[in-house]
Amino acid sequence: MPQHEHMERHFKLHGRRMDAPERERKKEARLAHKRSEFSQKVHGIRAKLYHQRRYKEKATMRKTIAQHRERANQHANDEAVAEGALPAYLLDREGVSRAKVLSNTIKQKRKEKAGKWEVPIPKVKPVADDEMFKVQRTGTRKQKAWKRVVTKCTFVGDNFTRKNPKYERFIRPSGLRMKRANVTHPELKTTFQLDIIGVKKNPSSQLYTNLGVMTKGTVIEVNVSELGLVTTSGKVAWAKFAQVTNNPELDGCVNAVLLV
Amino acid sequence: MPVYNFKRIGPVPSAPDLVDIVLMRTQRKTPTVVHPGYKISRIRSFYMRKIKFTQQTISERLGNIIQDFPRLNDIHPFYADLCNTLYDRDHYKLALGQLNAAKGLVEQISRDMIRMVKYGDSLYRCKCLKRAALGRMCTVLKRQKASLAYLEEVRKHLSRLPALDPNTRTLLLCGLPNVGKSSFLNKVTRGNVEVQPYAFTTKSLFVGHCDYKYLRWQVIDTPGILDHPLEERNTIEMQSIIALAHLTCAVLYIMDISEHCGYTIEQQCRLFQGIKPLFANKQLIVVVNKVDQQPWETLEAEKREMIESVVKMGGGNCTLMPMSNITEHGVSQVKNAACEKLLEARVDARVASNKIDSVMNRLQVFQPQPRDNVQREAFIPESVKKQLEEDGGRPKPQKSRTGYAPTVDDPEADGDATMGDAAVKKTARDLMWENGGPGVWAPDYRAIYDLKEDEWKFDSIPEIIDGKNIADFVDPDIENRLAALELEEEQALKELEAANMENPEESDLESEEEAAVMAIRDRKKTIRLMKNTNKTNNRPMMPREFRGRAKDKHDPGARNKNEIEKRMEDLGVDASKMIERGRSLDREAARKRGRSRNRRDEDDATMEDAEPMDDDGQSKTKRKKARREREESRKRDPSVNKRTHNKPQTLEKKGLNEDTKATAKKMERKGRKGWAGGAGEGDNRKGVHLVKWMNTGKKRNGTHYCR
Repeated sequence: MPQHEHMERHFKLHGRRMDAPERERKKEARLAHKRSEFSQKVHGIRAKLYHQRRYKEKATMRKTIAQHRERANQHANDEAVAEGALPAYLLDREGVSRAKVLSNTIKQKRKEKAGKWEVPIPKVKPVADDEMFKVQRTGTRKQKAWKRVVTKCTFVGDNFTRKNPKYERFIRPSGLRMKRANVTHPELKTTFQLDIIGVKKNPSSQLYTNLGVMTKGTVIEVNVSELGLVTTSGKVAWAKFAQVTNNPELDGCVNAVLLV
Repeated sequence: MPVYNFKRIGPVPSAPDLVDIVLMRTQRKTPTVVHPGYKISRIRSFYMRKIKFTQQTISERLGNIIQDFPRLNDIHPFYADLCNTLYDRDHYKLALGQLNAAKGLVEQISRDMIRMVKYGDSLYRCKCLKRAALGRMCTVLKRQKASLAYLEEVRKHLSRLPALDPNTRTLLLCGLPNVGKSSFLNKVTRGNVEVQPYAFTTKSLFVGHCDYKYLRWQVIDTPGILDHPLEERNTIEMQSIIALAHLTCAVLYIMDISEHCGYTIEQQCRLFQGIKPLFANKQLIVVVNKVDQQPWETLEAEKREMIESVVKMGGGNCTLMPMSNITEHGVSQVKNAACEKLLEARVDARVASNKIDSVMNRLQVFQPQPRDNVQREAFIPESVKKQLEEDGGRPKPQKSRTGYAPTVDDPEADGDATMGDAAVKKTARDLMWENGGPGVWAPDYRAIYDLKEDEWKFDSIPEIIDGKNIADFVDPDIENRLAALELEEEQALKELEAANMENPEESDLESEEEAAVMAIRDRKKTIRLMKNTNKTNNRPMMPREFRGRAKDKHDPGARNKNEIEKRMEDLGVDASKMIERGRSLDREAARKRGRSRNRRDEDDATMEDAEPMDDDGQSKTKRKKARREREESRKRDPSVNKRTHNKPQTLEKKGLNEDTKATAKKMERKGRKGWAGGAGEGDNRKGVHLVKWMNTGKKRNGTHYCR
């Protein structure tokens, strides 16, 4: 019975076959051809994945080669002195042009003014009623058609109780109710899963806002108390707005960007 | 107790591989065609099935991994501790735990997404949800990359652990590095462990097996232990310590008294004291090794005392034994002593346990009473006795066969073993090696044939002559018969001679006639000879039915009228009558052939009609019997069946046209059995029994016809 490193042990005891290095060398030499044959033949998603991987491998290869040939590489000459350059001690401190400052301040102001209402997704495709609602036929003979079922994801508060079916015009299916959102902090570039507090604004319609429907571009309020964000006045912010960046009904989750 | 077969753990795929496996399987095993025109419920179930299937596959794969790996709490403490030192228990448990968590997560995802798909209102939406679901599951899998890789490594290592059974009879070798533990294992078992003249050649546990008293013994070789506190020991040493701590076994503490291993005897004694707590409740033998370098007797007194004191310290069940692996001096004694000690201890433990009663009350020992005063001694064959006497009453010194490892390299040992008796009989095996090894020389078994005369031994007797096995023709009393025959012949000869003497023959023929007689006899003889030369009995008889008439073509005498006439004339016979008779027969046959079958049937019918009138008075059964007999006789009668035998159907009946008929006739004339184009035995034709289009699909109110 082989125990432990049996391959190595076998090599030690019996050696390798006479043409082992030769075979290995040939195998390696043939590898490029084999690979090329495969990459020409492959198609579809496999091709895409393969080429992606190969591209990465090649990039690392190029980098390592460049590292190894550091001395032989041609570099852009950083130390070359530009024509008519002044030494540091002769530089004029007042040399910053006024025009640049001005243009910068104007830009800044404009940004502040507009920034209040600027959101990551400024334009939203409106959602029509017949896309949003499905008609539920009611009555014994299914003649009546005044009930609507919401087909998109919604947020429904904790203490919500459904109305009497006789008066319930809009049905929000429990399977499509969302409680949490994956919120990205744009500056920290990190994502947190936060509780939704409410729907602030659905740009398509006021009705949707009232119903708590979340579509792409909807502004929602999320609970950020865990993040420990602080307002400018020094208080701890416990809720913040965020804009939904995906179609929750297609992805099965709500992704949003924090509005800071 | 579980069986420790860690080789059965299935391979653990890497994370990307696992993702590939899962997705491919989903693609292969679930339906792939869906159209927006389908009913929405059908579309939904199509995608739900995909999600569910993927989740099931993942759960199954992960579940298998979790189940395959041994749970450290359940296995024998020896293995648990070994795993702890080799793989780190925390890491191991964490990896398995993470896989379990991942499994749960995937199940959760699948539940959520399937719930969402239930509300899907279009193919696009369902598809997007499915895509999201599979993506999320794969992400979960990808996060397990590290754990999966770690587990794969562990699996590889586990599968290469020696197959140790912690509960069986075990001898454990321990000691400082390089004192000769592995050499001893090689001598005693076929473990074939690597032996090198440097420390820590053995880096892990090795197992060999040997026999003692027809039982299987497990010998474990451990890596060398250095003399320092437990905390400082490395992984390699820890394996020995674990083995010492957890296995109930006989321990052989091996010491190198020649100090060639690089450690003084004092150091070795100190190590013994250091690990003494591990020897508690174990059978212990202190083996003094390498006595070929430094004999035990000539060792300095103080060192010897040191060792003896150590042995004393080892307690009651500790003994000291000298041994040398190179000269094999004491190797088997050490093994036997250790096995014996352990066996006794195990039996004692068994007897002391409370389970013993169930065995003991089934045992009963009888001592037979001597029935008379006759001595019945052991039977020793004469040859053995003689040999024993030659050897001076001593049994022959045997060459050591304790170990299986090649010991032939050292001529000293070899000479030592064979010195006692130079006349050790050479076996055929030895001869084979002397004469060039297997394939070059093989023993000639004819030398040991048991024959009446020795010179017959190498006679070559073929087994088969002329295609016949000689053995078939050997008659046990052929000698007697031959003798009888010879006797008879002699007798006959004598008689003949006597008769000749009495009346010498007188021919009444004239010389011319005599010559003619001789000529005739010669001719006869040659004819007979010719006939016999071409005739062999060993030929299959082919009936004409199969052989066909084609053969007769080469023998025109059988068919041709002219030939027949000629031949008959030669013989002096008038052939015209014969030919006429043959023709009339032929004509009659042709007439019969031409008659239609119906006609014949009619004939039969009329006959039958006529018959009842004949045997009016007979009972019904008798009539029946008579009829059956008639039928039987008709069947039997060759004249009725002669012609119909080969041709059950006429050609017209087969419904062939003129051309084919002509060919067929031709073929038939040539001797073929039937029409050449007809199905032969090689034509394996299968008729259509079930027509697919008629037998598939619904069979209800008209749907069958109007599709």
